[in-house]
Amino acid sequence: MKVVVNQVEKAFKKQRVLSQISLTIDSGRIFCLLGASGSGKTTLLRIMMGAIPAENGTVTVGGTKVPDRKLLAEMGYMPQNDALYEELSVWENLKFFAGLHKLSRKTFEKKATELLQVVDLLPEKNKLVRDCSGGMKKRISLAVALIHQPRLLLLDEPTVGVDPVLRRRIWAYLKQLKNSGITILITTHVMDEVTQCDDAALLRNGHIIAKDTVENLIGRTSCGNIEELFFMDGESEMEAALC
Amino acid sequence: MLSIVKRILGQIKNDKRSMGLLLFAPLLVLTLLYFILGDSNYVPQIAVYDMNEKFVTELEQNAHVVELNEKPETKEYLEENGIEALLWKDTTGTHIELLEQNSKSATALKAIQDTNKALQPAPAQSELLISYVYETADDNQLDSLSYVFLGVISFFFVFILSGMSFVRERFGQTLERMLMTPISRMDVIGGYTLGYGLLSAIQSVVIILFAVYVLQLSVAGSVSLCILVMILMAFSAVSIGALVSIFANNELQMVQFIPVVLIPQIFFSGLIPIDTIPFGLGNLCYLTPIYYGCAALEKIMIQGKGFMEIWPWIAGSAAFIGVLFFVNVLALKKYRRL
Repeated sequence: MKVVVNQVEKAFKKQRVLSQISLTIDSGRIFCLLGASGSGKTTLLRIMMGAIPAENGTVTVGGTKVPDRKLLAEMGYMPQNDALYEELSVWENLKFFAGLHKLSRKTFEKKATELLQVVDLLPEKNKLVRDCSGGMKKRISLAVALIHQPRLLLLDEPTVGVDPVLRRRIWAYLKQLKNSGITILITTHVMDEVTQCDDAALLRNGHIIAKDTVENLIGRTSCGNIEELFFMDGESEMEAALC
Repeated sequence: MLSIVKRILGQIKNDKRSMGLLLFAPLLVLTLLYFILGDSNYVPQIAVYDMNEKFVTELEQNAHVVELNEKPETKEYLEENGIEALLWKDTTGTHIELLEQNSKSATALKAIQDTNKALQPAPAQSELLISYVYETADDNQLDSLSYVFLGVISFFFVFILSGMSFVRERFGQTLERMLMTPISRMDVIGGYTLGYGLLSAIQSVVIILFAVYVLQLSVAGSVSLCILVMILMAFSAVSIGALVSIFANNELQMVQFIPVVLIPQIFFSGLIPIDTIPFGLGNLCYLTPIYYGCAALEKIMIQGKGFMEIWPWIAGSAAFIGVLFFVNVLALKKYRRL
């Protein structure tokens, strides 16, 4: 699903969080929003879903203007904190969200088993979430976002606290999803994850300071170091120091 | 909607302590109240002045009697000596002077009346003139307030349960996640009301059965009608809890809201006779769901009325739940515009 963000602006109280954000995410791509914490990544993500309104500007997803309730069925959202029910088991959490999407019992069971396999939690499916570790919760949260087979996936820092082996497995699965035509938007401040994505936009203090394909962005840095992307807005002395 | 109901029941099933608190805490409080307000075998102290010998001897069966040689200044005498009642006689009849109206003075009054009855099986010839130092005479006894406590206790626990879980859901951002699915706001509120309503309905049934069959609370009317009223009250408590939690930004604020919402309701629960509230403020009772519940409970438990006589209060309760439902659906717009 193609996502078009046009001139979006947002302020909380008097503090401007996003100004003049425009970007296009093509269907079937993995798009990365890169930025330090506090740069407005999560806010932009929530505006794109329609969770919060923007003061100015529009967002369209697959040609439909956000917010739209039917559109929500096509989106899978994984929030930054886990947003799971602690008193329910892994399986019950999946079942609840599947129920909200009105999945049939059969589809749910098949899909849930498949997803728990990917995130390596199938043996622990009856464990209560409150007994799970932080990394496990992250994986459950990812599975919840995918349970209804969304066509657009919005992942807010999905791999924080996930060990490298599993991270690789999750990335392999995300690429598999991408190949089946699903559009994926992820936010991160982990630089090495950017190389896994197709396109990236750099957010700094509510402005997009660069957007391009990841390949081109890396080409623009002087020594191929992705972290340099952060210093692209003129702080060249820092850039030199890093090389 | 059904998945929300199932989820709520599942959550409480896996959280044994919350379930225990939901079911047993009200019973504990109610039992405590029962003993506090119950028959304590307290022997009242009564001072008599110039009463006949026969009466005093009989009264000593029921109370500690202090015989006085001269009539003291009532107010100071009663206060200083910790005595409940002063009894004396003149041409107009027997005077009983009491300090204030409470359960202690009620026992004194009862002792005197029992004595009178024992001496004169026929209706009293000399009139009993009761006066209170601090209050006007009224036949209001604490024992008859059981319906208030039943209503308030069940309302209290349910209100906290639903309000808190809604705030927690917002805090943990599961609410946002839930709203980022195609579910309608009406389904969210409906599921919530029904889920917690079911839990509190179970609680109401447990409370009332406990009160009637274990504590032997007297119910003049039908117990099942009481249960119906309690369940309606529980549902409105759930809705009010949800509404308040929408305006509370965290758990602390929710706790601060508890007295704000609850204490005014207790005023209108029947603890204070509504007609006596000045400036027409008593009319505010129509805005408190606890009024409908407690008024109906009073009519069933004390006056033994049936459905045909209490249906306006039941309808009031139901209307309250309906209105709150739509208010909540609108208030949820704060979190999702659709």
